[in-house]
Amino acid sequence: MRRLTVIATAVLVALLPACTVERPPAESGGWDDTGEVTYWMWDANQLPAYQQCATDFEASNPDIDIAIEQVGWDYYWGRMLTSFVANSAPDVFVNHTSKYGDYTSRGLIEPLDELIARDGPDLSQFVEGTGDLWVGDDGKRYGLPKDFDAVGLFYNATMAQDAGITPEQMQNLTWNPQDGGTYEDVLARLSVDVNGVRGDEPGFDPRNVATYGLGITYPPGGGSGQTQWSFLTATLGWSHTEKPLWGTRFNYDDPRFQDTIAWWRSLIDKGYMPPVEQAVGNEPSQLMQAGRVALVTEGSWNISTFAKLGGIELATAPTPIGPRGFRAAMTNSLADSIAAGSPNKGAAWKWVRYLASPECQSVVAQGGVVVPAVASVVPVAEAAIGAQGLDITPFTRHLREGTAFPFPAAHHAADVDSIMEAATERVMGGSADVSSLTAANEEVNALFTQG
Amino acid sequence: MVTVDTAVAPTSSTPGQEAGGLTPGRVLAWACLIAIIAITLFPFYWMLRTALSNGTTLATAGTSWLPVDFTWGAFRRVLGLATLEEAQAEGGTGSAVDFWVYLRNSVLVASLITAGQVFFGALAAYAFARMRWPGRDAVFFVLLTALMVPPIFTQLPNFLLMRDLGLINTYAALVLPFFFMTPFAVFFLRQFFLGISREIEEAARLDGAGHVRTFFQLIVPMSWGPITTLALLQYVQAWNEYFWPLLVGSERSVRTLTVALGVFRSQTPQGSLDWPGLMAATLIAALPVLLLFIAFGRKIVDSIGFSGIK
Repeated sequence: MRRLTVIATAVLVALLPACTVERPPAESGGWDDTGEVTYWMWDANQLPAYQQCATDFEASNPDIDIAIEQVGWDYYWGRMLTSFVANSAPDVFVNHTSKYGDYTSRGLIEPLDELIARDGPDLSQFVEGTGDLWVGDDGKRYGLPKDFDAVGLFYNATMAQDAGITPEQMQNLTWNPQDGGTYEDVLARLSVDVNGVRGDEPGFDPRNVATYGLGITYPPGGGSGQTQWSFLTATLGWSHTEKPLWGTRFNYDDPRFQDTIAWWRSLIDKGYMPPVEQAVGNEPSQLMQAGRVALVTEGSWNISTFAKLGGIELATAPTPIGPRGFRAAMTNSLADSIAAGSPNKGAAWKWVRYLASPECQSVVAQGGVVVPAVASVVPVAEAAIGAQGLDITPFTRHLREGTAFPFPAAHHAADVDSIMEAATERVMGGSADVSSLTAANEEVNALFTQG
Repeated sequence: MVTVDTAVAPTSSTPGQEAGGLTPGRVLAWACLIAIIAITLFPFYWMLRTALSNGTTLATAGTSWLPVDFTWGAFRRVLGLATLEEAQAEGGTGSAVDFWVYLRNSVLVASLITAGQVFFGALAAYAFARMRWPGRDAVFFVLLTALMVPPIFTQLPNFLLMRDLGLINTYAALVLPFFFMTPFAVFFLRQFFLGISREIEEAARLDGAGHVRTFFQLIVPMSWGPITTLALLQYVQAWNEYFWPLLVGSERSVRTLTVALGVFRSQTPQGSLDWPGLMAATLIAALPVLLLFIAFGRKIVDSIGFSGIK
């Protein structure tokens, strides 16, 4: 027993110094401009391009090392949270419009206004609107935009040709929540049951469908419906909140929103879209490759993923024109932010500036995955992505034609998403009526009145 | 020269086993057994089939029993043998699995946890089974009660403790909550120690052996089977542990294989993920535990039979 006591005492003594170490407060940080800058990102497809940026940056800044870590989207935000709690957050990280409000309200990321005023960059170099997304509701700027995206249609060109649908038709689809317009006609035509009968032909069996016209993702849209339904609701003049950014009153109780969801839901009953459970664990790209769906609505950041799919010929088309005569697409811009607790914010700021520079963004553009936010290199990206075989202009035309609308940045974004994910899932799963979204809306709005 | 008569007479003469023994009952039993084995092994076959497929064309033949567009590429990617261009050409992303680093971390963490738990668990079990001290049964009751507390309740306090100790993203944080003992380890060994004859212990006592000597020279050698079983069970559990390593050891340098595979699985939102790469990595990650079972499986069966645990 004595020996055990000795061992136990030794362990406790060894742990004692660790117990008395005082943690530095998260908001302290430091302005060193040397050392290792940790940088987190989630998109593995973009990793090689940013790795190249880091190599180039280190060559001209020998006192700074960049350690890039890629963590997939599903883990990214949970890990970010625990890292902030544990004071081990990255110095710089790729931030998302839907998330950064939760960080600014807790003072976890560094405002950049004074730094930008002192060192640049000139904010006019960015694509219009991308920079504005990164001004919080306190008027401070929290990130330098790095890219932008929009939503469009990917469709199986061979299937469309077999169905007698021309590329011209696909470029000029129309939609309304009553009969679905030519958009629904196309989805019906592209749906084929196990007997080879098309959705617009008599005898179509909606319960035994071999190829669905439209794909569905899981979860079906959450609070923003970025790639699922937002491009439809916007054509009715509906918007998520009372103002584009930092709204505090959501509009999920609006008939225009609920009519759109009701129409979208009806596609499942008609056999033009698979039941939502079929989307669990299946990526839209793989469902298309397997021939299970003929058309999906997706973000431009997935163009290279679709372009790489073997054994299938794909094409792109813009979102349909709504009853008011215009088409719409949600656009979003990611940005790089600096953690307020970073011990070497000087070096972090240098890296963030380089990430937003035409030099780094040219490298990213040539990577052919996303369209950079630096306006002068957008054509480089269009060419690089286009060289993979898919036309990117159905996505970028929204910016040229002014039909893009911003991702609805708001506080409590995680809570809004979880409430709306559950609510839309119930509706799409058939266990709740579309009118139940009114109660969900009340729940969402209560987040803002309860503080 | 010794000759061996190979014409051995049948040792069994039960009616069912005569004339080839192919009774309908046996056929049914064999069919059930084969079906169960097939169902059990099928996921592994499907993993292998996916791992040997080409990621860019995998979904074109989703129901094919054979690898789609056969390639070793996924295994090469996972083991760090493929270039970025090769990986991307076969449906991989820019993301790499630092397989050897994560394997080292998993082996290190699982080994430390197992060593600690078995050693301290055995000591505690000895104290509960072979020593008499005031309040022993009450303490044992409390310990057993701890078995009922779902681990999720202790994760957050433990996480905050590790943070305050400054141990986040260190091996110590990964190992410490499991290192000293678990109620299960103590309970498992105590039940076995209880069965050891007291006379042997008393004989040792008469020969002048104290508790430490009795434990190390008598109890431990006699309990080698259950101790190995416990070690193996704890090793597998530590190997598969996911949530705690994700919380405190997500940094690349200390990341374990389970966490690494989870991170690898989740890539671009709604993007195509590298299924062949994931399946290849999972198969390789399962290998060490499989090898352990092959090496020690017989010992487990023996010790379970011996200790009467069912």
